[in-house]
Amino acid sequence: MSVPVYREADEKAPPVLQAQGLVREYGSVIAVDEIDLSLARGEFLTIFGPNGAGKTSLLALLAGALRPSRGQVWLRGEPLDFGEVEWRRRIGVLSHQGFLYGHLSAEENLRFYGQLFGLSDVDNVVRDKLQHLGLQERATSLVRDLSHGMRQRLALARTLLHDPDIVLLDEPYTGLDPSAALVLQGVLSDLRDGRRTVVMVTHNLSEGVALATSVAIMNRGRFVWQGKRAELEGDFGQFYHTVIEGHG
Amino acid sequence: MRNYLKQIGTILWKDLLVEFRTRERLITMGAFVVLVAILFNYATDWVRVSPEDIASGLVWMTIMFAGLLGVGRTFHLEAEDGAFQGILLSPVPKDAIFLAKALANFVFLYIVALLVVAVFMFFFGLEVSRNFGMLAIVIGLGVLAFVALGTLFTAVSTGTRMGDTLLPVLIFPLLAPVVIYGTGATSQFLAGRPLTEAEGSIKMLAAIALMAFFLGSLLFRFVVED
Repeated sequence: MSVPVYREADEKAPPVLQAQGLVREYGSVIAVDEIDLSLARGEFLTIFGPNGAGKTSLLALLAGALRPSRGQVWLRGEPLDFGEVEWRRRIGVLSHQGFLYGHLSAEENLRFYGQLFGLSDVDNVVRDKLQHLGLQERATSLVRDLSHGMRQRLALARTLLHDPDIVLLDEPYTGLDPSAALVLQGVLSDLRDGRRTVVMVTHNLSEGVALATSVAIMNRGRFVWQGKRAELEGDFGQFYHTVIEGHG
Repeated sequence: MRNYLKQIGTILWKDLLVEFRTRERLITMGAFVVLVAILFNYATDWVRVSPEDIASGLVWMTIMFAGLLGVGRTFHLEAEDGAFQGILLSPVPKDAIFLAKALANFVFLYIVALLVVAVFMFFFGLEVSRNFGMLAIVIGLGVLAFVALGTLFTAVSTGTRMGDTLLPVLIFPLLAPVVIYGTGATSQFLAGRPLTEAEGSIKMLAAIALMAFFLGSLLFRFVVED
């Protein structure tokens, strides 16, 4: 088994994921308000913020699940074209929901998504992913019979099945017990291999900061603080609350 | 093109497998069909009405209502754990998703439609063996048109607060030509008339089915994209 190598993001590389002036409105409510971001290959951005800050909407915009009301998202300099589908092969999304079918087994779910993504060697990829996530013994169990932690791991396997170079994670730690969180932490650490660009939304301050190369704090649809992890000093929890209260 | 067809096949197979395991829609539609036929049997005065006069209308209305029950649940299982969002985020063209969902609905509803014919043969004593092949084609074309419109409008109604209540209001006006030409052709076959007399109705049903699939494929992406 290869040991994951943590490399810092290549600052000089062209941005893999970019957004400019991103706005999403739901009627009169502005969920995402003029967000700009630019992430290079290997960068791991963790976004923190209170409930209703617009984090999930921002992730959905970056994933192409939502159309922006204004602004634009680019993948490797190419604007997202909703009429095309090929760029979706490069993105993996882990949402609040697992996107899994309860009446299909763990293996069948992964094979289904593998075929949708046009993987050439689906059976081997599925077997490898189940093994990597420690689910090989439950491969034939129906998803509805799995525990929440197992489903979350399976959802992560689905997210990474097609080896995306952009990974978007929405609250991956929600509802996990400490041992399941530890497994997840290991898998997320593996994502810092310098090949992928990761954006993660979480309330878990310590784990979120530990994994990040960049950190953003979001409130009322805007980034109220954004910087490199190296710029953070002292107690991040206290810093986070000070920033949120300052922009409350 | 091969990849496109493979993606349609993958979604279609998944829908059939899930239905085979849950039997949610087939059992509901099947039970509905049998109960309706029993009620019609007791509600009709057979001294005044001959079965051939009303059978085609009853067969088609039963197919339409049973179809609403089944097609209306097209996206219910997908909604569980947000699975439909997972399909939308995959590199599958939206028209391929539409075609797969509509074809899955066709398989379910066609099985039920044939059950409708069998049940009405039993209760009404209908004689269809001479023209069964043509009757199966007519019903197949009508069901194709129904599932194309039904899948599209179920996607519309699922995204609204009114949900299932809205579906019949949206879809029934559009189904009027399907019922008109479907009952027309079915009446001819039940009366033992030759194929030439039903030819016009069959061509119209085929044209409606083709148009419904074309429009459904074209419009589906505007319905499911947020």
